[in-house]
Amino acid sequence: MPTNPNIPPNTQQPAAAVRAILSVLIILHVLAVFIGPWAMPPQSSELAASCARLFQPYLESLGLANGYRFFAPEPGPSHLVRYEVTLPDGSQQQGVFPDRRQHKPRLLYHRYFMLSEFINTLENPNAPRDRAEAYAKSYAQHLAHLHQATQVKLYLRRHFVPRMSEVRQGMRLADKALYEEHPLGTFSERDEP
Amino acid sequence: MMRLISMVRSWAAEVVAGWNRFWFEPADPATLGLIRICAGAMLFYTHLIWSLDLASFFGAHGWLAPEAVRLLQKDTYAWSYLWWLDSPASLWAAHIGALVVFALLTVGLFSRVASVLALVATLAYVNRVPGALFGLDQINVMLAMYLAVGPCGAAFSLDRWLESRKAGPSLAIQPRWSANLAIRLIQVHMCVIYLFAGTAKLTGPAWWDGTALWMALGNLEYQSLDMTWMADWPRLINLMTHVTVFWEIFYCALIWPRLTRPVMLLLAIPLHLGIAICLGMVTFGLVMLVGNLAFVAPGLVHAIWPWSTGQGRAGDPNQPPPRSKSATATRPAAIPNRPKRY
Repeated sequence: MPTNPNIPPNTQQPAAAVRAILSVLIILHVLAVFIGPWAMPPQSSELAASCARLFQPYLESLGLANGYRFFAPEPGPSHLVRYEVTLPDGSQQQGVFPDRRQHKPRLLYHRYFMLSEFINTLENPNAPRDRAEAYAKSYAQHLAHLHQATQVKLYLRRHFVPRMSEVRQGMRLADKALYEEHPLGTFSERDEP
Repeated sequence: MMRLISMVRSWAAEVVAGWNRFWFEPADPATLGLIRICAGAMLFYTHLIWSLDLASFFGAHGWLAPEAVRLLQKDTYAWSYLWWLDSPASLWAAHIGALVVFALLTVGLFSRVASVLALVATLAYVNRVPGALFGLDQINVMLAMYLAVGPCGAAFSLDRWLESRKAGPSLAIQPRWSANLAIRLIQVHMCVIYLFAGTAKLTGPAWWDGTALWMALGNLEYQSLDMTWMADWPRLINLMTHVTVFWEIFYCALIWPRLTRPVMLLLAIPLHLGIAICLGMVTFGLVMLVGNLAFVAPGLVHAIWPWSTGQGRAGDPNQPPPRSKSATATRPAAIPNRPKRY
């Protein structure tokens, strides 16, 4: 590649050797960018998983291990966490997160929403059980610390989306029939680390 | 046989030349400068919001206890300097430091250092709170990474303004190969993102029966604008669902030709603004549009940038070079090796 000495070096293509080194790095990087979502569980091949292991340090240290599976496989029900805390005087308080009225602005609300969605992801039967338990315990410990509570009960609340036909017939999005709930656990002071 | 070898050699030479043009052709840094402003502002806002509940998310007694996160990140290479900060005072000091870095990146002061520090800070935050993250954070990391690669402060920045004050107003924005490299990396990354976003949807029945968009719009927890009236328009929901999937899958192919690029970019606007306005994810919708800016030609950026001097428009990676000999002869002097084809 001929270079013009009258032109600043940074306005020309880099020298051949630099281009060669950069080309190798670009290929490796683009491969990593592709492998990140390609190998993302649960649906990934053994080949993809092997490639991901090879690139694991790079993917994880640069935050490239993402699936980018936005609203996939499909938008489903949303998940909230309801909690009941028992205070030292025996009285109880309860709440839900995310809470639109409490968590403002919207980005903060979404952070809380992701906390409750994340515990649902960990509740997946295929996910390691200890993680779901550790996160539920972590949420409970935070609530116990926040309220100075002696006991915390957590529930995962699933909110289904009504069909279009149901909405046309008058069903509201907050209809009670669209909710179901199951306990995540009861945590007491003894669980404190 | 010799002819075959000659043909292969010629083909290989063309591939190498094309590769060099694609990645290393000097380009006007205007697009990268615009992305720096938008991504920097988004990074600043994203982290500013953490301030409202910093201890609850990053403190020792936060929602995500260190032992729970470490269990999730066991045997991984996820790292964060926030693990070293035990006291509220040190956490706040680091947080304010990060906000200053994002502000510097946005205005383009000490851009080179600020862009690298912004990447470090962004990664530190996302690796500390897995479980509170969503698509916004993934795109934030991606943009921060490529801003650290390219000369993001070479245009529309305080660095540039200070430089021109020293050198005089005639200082033109120089095309740079590193600006092109950063833009190309964002472009390719955006293609990968949409490809997997689209193909992953193919496993969901709702994306095939056309009701997926309803399932998003009818989700009360996401909803920021009541769109239940669309239940009366199921065909419209079907159409929007199918267009979303096809747009995402074919983005990686149709964003490159000059003929289809404007269509793909125009479709990106309602798609992402729809997510922003209807599903309450303003930040995510906007940051995806920021990523799409990588496909906007620097010439257009200069045209819409109110304080642009119009200088340095040469070396636009998104525009084809002149094809005729006469046109080639008028190429800017700053581009000595202007490609014959793009």
